Amino acid sequence: MPARNVAAVIFFTIVAVFFVFGALMTHPFGDPGNPEMDQYIIDNTQGETGADNGVTSVVFDYRGFDTLGEATVLFTAFAGVIVLFRRLKK
Amino acid sequence: MVAEMLVNIVHIIIPILIVIASAFAVVFKDLIAAAIAVAAMSLLLSLEFYILHAPDVAIAEAGIGACLTTAILVIAIRATRREEEA
Amino acid sequence: MSGMSKIVKTISSITFPFVTIYGLYVIAHGHLTPGGGFQGGAVVASGCAMILVAYGSVWTMGKIKEKHLSVLESFGAIGFIGLAFLGLIFGTMFFKNFLVGNDFLFGEIGKGLSNISTAGALPLMNFAVGLKVIAGLFGIVLVMAYTTKAKGGKIE
Repeated sequence: MPARNVAAVIFFTIVAVFFVFGALMTHPFGDPGNPEMDQYIIDNTQGETGADNGVTSVVFDYRGFDTLGEATVLFTAFAGVIVLFRRLKK
Repeated sequence: MVAEMLVNIVHIIIPILIVIASAFAVVFKDLIAAAIAVAAMSLLLSLEFYILHAPDVAIAEAGIGACLTTAILVIAIRATRREEEA
Repeated sequence: MSGMSKIVKTISSITFPFVTIYGLYVIAHGHLTPGGGFQGGAVVASGCAMILVAYGSVWTMGKIKEKHLSVLESFGAIGFIGLAFLGLIFGTMFFKNFLVGNDFLFGEIGKGLSNISTAGALPLMNFAVGLKVIAGLFGIVLVMAYTTKAKGGKIE
């Protein structure tokens, strides 16, 4: 058995152990760990933002920086495609 | 009771179909057929999201995964070869 | 990419307004029903990609250039960040929902799914992000389809 195969077996064993422990340490399904923030958002989203759709009020108001990062990712992708494919155009 | 049982049965059937479509996407030598298999997998995944009460994620998955990803894959295959080299 | 047959062109021409109207509905009702700017923009960009596949990239590039799409996407980004900074100016912090509560545009607090004039700055942010996503995704597909040449194979 070559040294590369031994190293690969050890590496995959370590990764598998990490995945199994990560799967065992998650919360059970339908039982989140800290429900205070969720309960606050469920209770106050209509009165504070005025929106009936709670997901939109979280995405655009409570967690607006996530949407800003997503918009930045899309802008960067478009700029990269324009720059990369400009040289191919005749 | 019957509706709950039907939803449970659909919850079992659709992931099996997703795994089958993913296996076809790996197995196919024709790359266009593999791209269509990826699109079918994405459409089934959006149906699963809709059953799991996440309709906004289902809309995004159906628009991006089933249409635009397939278009980009077909454009990329068109610029190279269609058949996969053995 | 040259165009496809006449049947495909006719069917996609008939289907395209419905897809576009549905996507704009998802964007405009983003604060009431499931969906939002990103999802509706993805639907509209999918319809535009259907037109691109049916009619060919040369015809589509004759209708709209990628410069115009770039300008539209920049307008969406500037609108989004500008609304966030207006929250800093008129309110207290970045991303503050400054329009809600007063009797101005979209100022009411909604209790029910029928009133579209609610939610303050959220519909405007939905419009900005929807414009940005439409221009961005369709621009990516359009530029990739126009600049790459067919090489081997049987696909046009």
